Amino acid sequence: MNSSQAAPTAATPEAVFEEITGMLHAVLGEYGGVVNAGITMDTRFHDDLDLESIDLVTLGGHLQARYGELVNFAEYLAGLGLEEIIGLTVGQLVEHITGCLRAPGER
Amino acid sequence: MSRFLFVVPPLAGHVNPTIGVAAELVRGGHQVAWAGLPEVVGPLVGSGATVFRCSSPDLADPALLRPPSLRGPAALKFLWERFLGPLAEHMAPGVRAAVGEFLPDVLVADQQAVAGGLVAERLGLVWATSATTTAGFTSLSGLPKVDSWIAGLIGELRQRIGDPRSTADPRLSDRLVLAFSTEALAGPVPSAGEQVRFVGPSLAARPTADDFPWHRLDPRTPTVLITLGTANAEAAPRFLAACAEAVRGRPDRAQAVVVDPTGTVPEFADRVLVRPHVPQLALLERCDAVICHGGHNTVCEALWYGLPLIVAPIRDDQPAVAAQVTDAGAGVRVRFNRATSEVLGAALDTVLREPDCRAAAGRVRASFRAAGGATAAAVHLEALAARAK
Repeated sequence: MNSSQAAPTAATPEAVFEEITGMLHAVLGEYGGVVNAGITMDTRFHDDLDLESIDLVTLGGHLQARYGELVNFAEYLAGLGLEEIIGLTVGQLVEHITGCLRAPGER
Repeated sequence: MSRFLFVVPPLAGHVNPTIGVAAELVRGGHQVAWAGLPEVVGPLVGSGATVFRCSSPDLADPALLRPPSLRGPAALKFLWERFLGPLAEHMAPGVRAAVGEFLPDVLVADQQAVAGGLVAERLGLVWATSATTTAGFTSLSGLPKVDSWIAGLIGELRQRIGDPRSTADPRLSDRLVLAFSTEALAGPVPSAGEQVRFVGPSLAARPTADDFPWHRLDPRTPTVLITLGTANAEAAPRFLAACAEAVRGRPDRAQAVVVDPTGTVPEFADRVLVRPHVPQLALLERCDAVICHGGHNTVCEALWYGLPLIVAPIRDDQPAVAAQVTDAGAGVRVRFNRATSEVLGAALDTVLREPDCRAAAGRVRASFRAAGGATAAAVHLEALAARAK
């Protein structure tokens, strides 16, 4: 796999956050009832966005389409306990993805 | 002549689909009985039916009530840990006794009455699955960790009430799974599921008092049924109020019937009728759209009449059922805890006006009507019994 192709040069937390926000709106759907300003790094997927686990699977699809094999969201989720999944925030995901993009050499 | 024993949990939505199937079997000269909690199952199946007593955790126990805030994987874990697991242990002696007395050729176990499949495997009895929701065929939660936790809990139950050497899933018979849906709604089942038979909804007339004020519905105004089913009353008030407000904000474009067992939603002239219960099938025939929580039965009943849906899933299989609805194009999904009257109003405009939405709901309706329902289910069960002999 060509890692330079999937790793964007601007893999800053800010840039990743922007992209995640866009994906979350796609997952939430037309009637998701969430305005842009309503999503911050502290936003929790379950309690604040009403995302269900089935939505996390959809989000995983978006992440894979964007970042390719650099980011394995399913594997990331599998490593979390139930409580951690319930408490998962946008910021935690951003941090995880930024980390994945920074270290392509480990793959 | 064969004998069929339906093993059901004390949950109306899981008993109802078996009633039509049982009636078809009786029409074909077979004998049927149920194993379950008589206080719940008896009134549903009617006084002439045989119900073998199985005990149940105390349904009034406040410890079983899941607070509205408990959702997602935590709610699923709670459901299995506090209710479905203990329910299986409560039911197992009653199921064994029922088998001993009734001597069924085939045991039909609801997916949430895992005592059925476990006791059947222990006794070497042929058994089928009654799948009143199709959301669990691939993964219950979408999260491997949660799925394997549930599998572990079932493994422990198996040690006590099942056949410890077996590896079968008591929620999915490998001989026959009756799915009360169609692929037009549920999507294709993975190739491993060849035993799954999509028979469509099994809708039997339910005993309901006809006290509905039909005269209050204006025949010229589109009617929306708003219901959160039989098991979600405690979470309902805010959402139902937002729905009612959305309807009020659409003069001449909608009137609504709100099912509100809690009695907290105010009526509004003749455009928002609030009732503690309704004759749902008769009412759906008069409706144009449905707002609901994504319960499998309510969704299938709406689509039986080709009605587009607004689904606001709360928990359990409801998010997956909601995804089936939107994937089929037969409705839109809103967020139960977040949907404002503005969002719900916009969603209402979509389902009432978009021809695509109605056409998609119509396609599911056609698939349901062609699937054979209770009659087809009875034919599959007869064939299984014949093979078993």
